[in-house]
Amino acid sequence: MDERLKRLRAADRLSAPTVIQALLPTFVPLHGDRVLGDDAALTAGFGRTADQQALTVLGIDRGQNVNERRQKNGGALTVPGYRTALRVLAHTEKFRMPVVSLLNMPGADASPQSEEHGQSQAIADLIAAMGQLTVPNIVVFLGEGHSGGALGFANANRVIMLDDSLFNVASPEAVAAILHGQQTVSAAIDLLPMTAAALKQRGLVDVVIDHRAPDLVATLSTQIIDLLVPLLPVMPDALIAQREEKFQAFLEQWPLN
Amino acid sequence: MSHYPATGQWTTCRVCGRHVHARQWGTWRQCPYCQAWQRLTAKQRIDQLVDADSFEPLPVVARSQNQLAFPGYATKLAQATEKTGLTEAVVAGWATIQTWPVMLIVMDSHFMMGTLNTTVSRRIMAALKQARQRQVPVIMVTASGGARMQEGIYALVGMNLILAEMARLAAVPVPVISVLTDPTMGGVSASFAFKADVVLAEAGAKIGFAGPRVIQQTMPVDLPADFQSAASLYENGAVDAVIARPELRDQLGDILASYRFQGVSTHG
Repeated sequence: MDERLKRLRAADRLSAPTVIQALLPTFVPLHGDRVLGDDAALTAGFGRTADQQALTVLGIDRGQNVNERRQKNGGALTVPGYRTALRVLAHTEKFRMPVVSLLNMPGADASPQSEEHGQSQAIADLIAAMGQLTVPNIVVFLGEGHSGGALGFANANRVIMLDDSLFNVASPEAVAAILHGQQTVSAAIDLLPMTAAALKQRGLVDVVIDHRAPDLVATLSTQIIDLLVPLLPVMPDALIAQREEKFQAFLEQWPLN
Repeated sequence: MSHYPATGQWTTCRVCGRHVHARQWGTWRQCPYCQAWQRLTAKQRIDQLVDADSFEPLPVVARSQNQLAFPGYATKLAQATEKTGLTEAVVAGWATIQTWPVMLIVMDSHFMMGTLNTTVSRRIMAALKQARQRQVPVIMVTASGGARMQEGIYALVGMNLILAEMARLAAVPVPVISVLTDPTMGGVSASFAFKADVVLAEAGAKIGFAGPRVIQQTMPVDLPADFQSAASLYENGAVDAVIARPELRDQLGDILASYRFQGVSTHG
């Protein structure tokens, strides 16, 4: 496998639960969508930072050993995961807590069950709900985030990426596949702007953090709070407009021709 | 491979592979041998749905180009344009259906499998915006393999932007009706297709997020014949109704008559 991908998918990669533990000394986990079930890949809940800032978190990780990976479906969120996230968003709006999403997930879950459960509807609902969220939201790419599932969480006021993480329409493997083997998976990473550097240069990403930073978790926590604090007094309508303007400005880079 | 209807008299059914004469297809383009509904071009679809001569296309706001210099994309765009006579995978315009005014947005799977890219997103957003200004109901006929990979994340963000536009329509409110046709998959399925007020599925359509091939690459499963079919989505509660092609126009007319939106003048 490509060295970069190997690192993002490694068992010891910095994971959402680790960041959440450091970020929120007081943490109340929330589980289940109340209809279909629970999704182990999602770590959701709310709590207080060391400085008493209330925060909701939505973390997705692949799991750190074989057993965890099986339970968490390798980080491919299922419909109960999206629906739980939607329930947690309703809760966060009620109590006016900002939202931090932390992602390391492959593309969508390709399974008959997710299809039967209405994966499309769940993803569409999440994208729409995140876009219309009346409290500030931030997304942090800890590893990979591809396809519509990641996009929902990334419909955010601010985007942070670790310098070696990836955000794309589809996984590098899927990009290589449409070229029928004319390009390797490694080459595919550079064919489209999906790295943190490429997306920062294009204005989609606000902050890039070196994944080798000596105290990465502390650096990340500080950065999240630093980005969040100026957003706290922003009115709901302005937060909603700001998200759309960000993506609109990104789209405008593509000339009309 | 796509199967754009050729100009000749004989074409092949994309389901059973038999050769079918132009006259045998009939008005609704149903295979006389296997009864499969053939995928329609945007023009065929519009002709079937709207009152005669009522369709007025919106001015074309954007054309596609290979901005990221993705290998082979420029050629694919040129081929798709030549094959379909369209400049992109969507056509939008004003029309009336049983005298009710509508903004009709029709995707065409013959143009790069109807994939969502920057241009398609822009055209859909422009159409939604104008429908909102005139308070005219929107009908979205989807046919798409999903987001267009050759445009990377630029194709994906269109999903966020279209849904933001739809939130403004909902705030007025202006009704949005979607008709999911074969195929409606990936990023189109997971954004505007399922976010309409009324979601209809055309009989025989395959609708889902991940396609059967992708699923079978991930896990060795036997998928039932009706997997992701309009009928199975209805059984699972994912769509409001399954409508056979000949009934679609009347069904849309009934829905429009029930909403009773006449549209408003934008002048004064």
